[in-house]
Amino acid sequence: MRPLASGAAPSALALRALVLALPCLALALALPEVPHWFVLLGVPVSAAVWARTPDHAVGVVPLVLVGGWWASHDVLDWRVPVVAVLLLAAHLAAVLAAYGPATLAVDRRLARLWLVRGLLALVPVPVTWLALRGLDPAWAPPGTWLAAGALLSALLLVTARLTRSEAR
Amino acid sequence: MTSWQPTPALVRACLLALGGVTAGVVLGQEVMVVLAAPFVVVAAMGLAARPRTAPRVTARLDHHRLHEGQGSTSRLDVDDLAGVEHVTRVAGVAPHVATSPPYGAVGALVDDGLPTLRFSPRRWGRRDLGSERVGLTSAWAGWRWGPLDLPRHGLSVLPQTAPYDSRAEVPQPDGLVGRHRSRRLGGGTEFEGIRPFATGDRLKRITWPVSLRTGELHVITTRAEQDAGVWLVVDGLRDIGVSGGVDGAASTLDLTVRAAAALAEHHVRTGDRVGLLVVAADGTRVPLGAGPRHLHRLHGTLARVRTEARSVPPERLDLGAGAGSVVHVLSPMLFTPLVTATASLQRSGASVIVVDTLGEAMSAGTDRLALPSLAARMQRIERDDRLRRLAGLGTPVVPWRGPGTLDTVLHLLARRAQVPKVRA
Repeated sequence: MRPLASGAAPSALALRALVLALPCLALALALPEVPHWFVLLGVPVSAAVWARTPDHAVGVVPLVLVGGWWASHDVLDWRVPVVAVLLLAAHLAAVLAAYGPATLAVDRRLARLWLVRGLLALVPVPVTWLALRGLDPAWAPPGTWLAAGALLSALLLVTARLTRSEAR
Repeated sequence: MTSWQPTPALVRACLLALGGVTAGVVLGQEVMVVLAAPFVVVAAMGLAARPRTAPRVTARLDHHRLHEGQGSTSRLDVDDLAGVEHVTRVAGVAPHVATSPPYGAVGALVDDGLPTLRFSPRRWGRRDLGSERVGLTSAWAGWRWGPLDLPRHGLSVLPQTAPYDSRAEVPQPDGLVGRHRSRRLGGGTEFEGIRPFATGDRLKRITWPVSLRTGELHVITTRAEQDAGVWLVVDGLRDIGVSGGVDGAASTLDLTVRAAAALAEHHVRTGDRVGLLVVAADGTRVPLGAGPRHLHRLHGTLARVRTEARSVPPERLDLGAGAGSVVHVLSPMLFTPLVTATASLQRSGASVIVVDTLGEAMSAGTDRLALPSLAARMQRIERDDRLRRLAGLGTPVVPWRGPGTLDTVLHLLARRAQVPKVRA
């Protein structure tokens, strides 16, 4: 099985390399602490599959594995926003690569557009990180968690409704 | 797929956003909230940008009839672009068709205009362009329409008109008007000589300087101008060698068809009447004709020449041509019956010229003792022997070399045609 079709554009190859490398890098930030062998094995393998087929559902696996490991590690230090940046960059690289086959060169204007969108998407990261580090959950007014849960359920329903396919 | 579908990227962003926030709220995993925060933005923007239209996508080619090496542009038409941000087009690979950009993949933002694909057929004949797929993507890559399979387009590719010119006259012009000098005197513009005035001469033919000098009326005589009937016999029985298209090596059929196209164009431009006989399984015969429309018909017929393994060489070439016609037989002459038929045509009184279109197709390989190489050499020796015998019967054989290929032969034939003949 050939990894990619012949005639792949260099820019498309670079994007696929990013899709492979960034989740691994996000995991490597944990060093010198060594993650579980399943995570160590699962992240590069799933990222490699994702890099080969950026338009595949497998892309969620390396992101969940890395995010899950950092969540279980439960340290809200400076590395967490960096991991968020790396995971988002991997996601956006896959989005750009999924616009066409590997022979499609990346459009410069499209890449610039997604760079701006990536920066916009990163705005909540420092805000959330600072809020979680600086605020004490005990001070939250009563009913906060109930409201958050209700809002989350509503969001789930809206998302499910919006993403439902409409065959014409 | 004929509806807007969420892309895997949107599904991924939604899963990560909702999963992360849920884990943060329900399980108290603060890290997950930070990691999921950017995906919330991406997912929300992607969801909000869902288009509500049902676009109709069609592609059209600027040209459907081209010569080898020429190019045409395929343009996309989308009737409703509301909500569409990006368009991707991917054309399949088709033999003997070059695409630009290479590999046929192109994409562009709608603001920059719909992407175009350029095709250039590299070999004559009917060329099917590869199947094309088109995908429309909404803003934030949240939704995708397609990929749609568009109907295939076909190109009718005429043979390249190789540069060909000849200053030689056709040996036996027999028509009424044309550019060739007649053997008979008549009302033309080609100077023949000056002779004393005779009863019946037109007054405007009197040459006054000579008449005054000699003291006797003299008139200028001219030659009539005539056209000729030229037949092109194209051997489409086999195609030997590998065709590399207009830029690469030429197979025997490539050489034959391109040479026929060049000769047809030359003779039609000269004002001759040109006919075509394709010797193949589904042989075609185009009667004599002249003018640009007829040339177009000849080129179209040449573009449809196909070889088939079941085709057999004919015993005789039925041209319906008179004794005055000139016949160009374009063939690698690999079949004895075709050689015999050519010789019969020569005996019937036509001026036959064999244009050898074997080219480099049967050149010896690197290993001269290999079986295919030996077989090719044996076949070539037999063919050369047949051509020698044909030349012995008075039929000139010339290999196709482009411009001027037939000049010497046509001069010789013209001279031979002017020699008085004694018929039994």
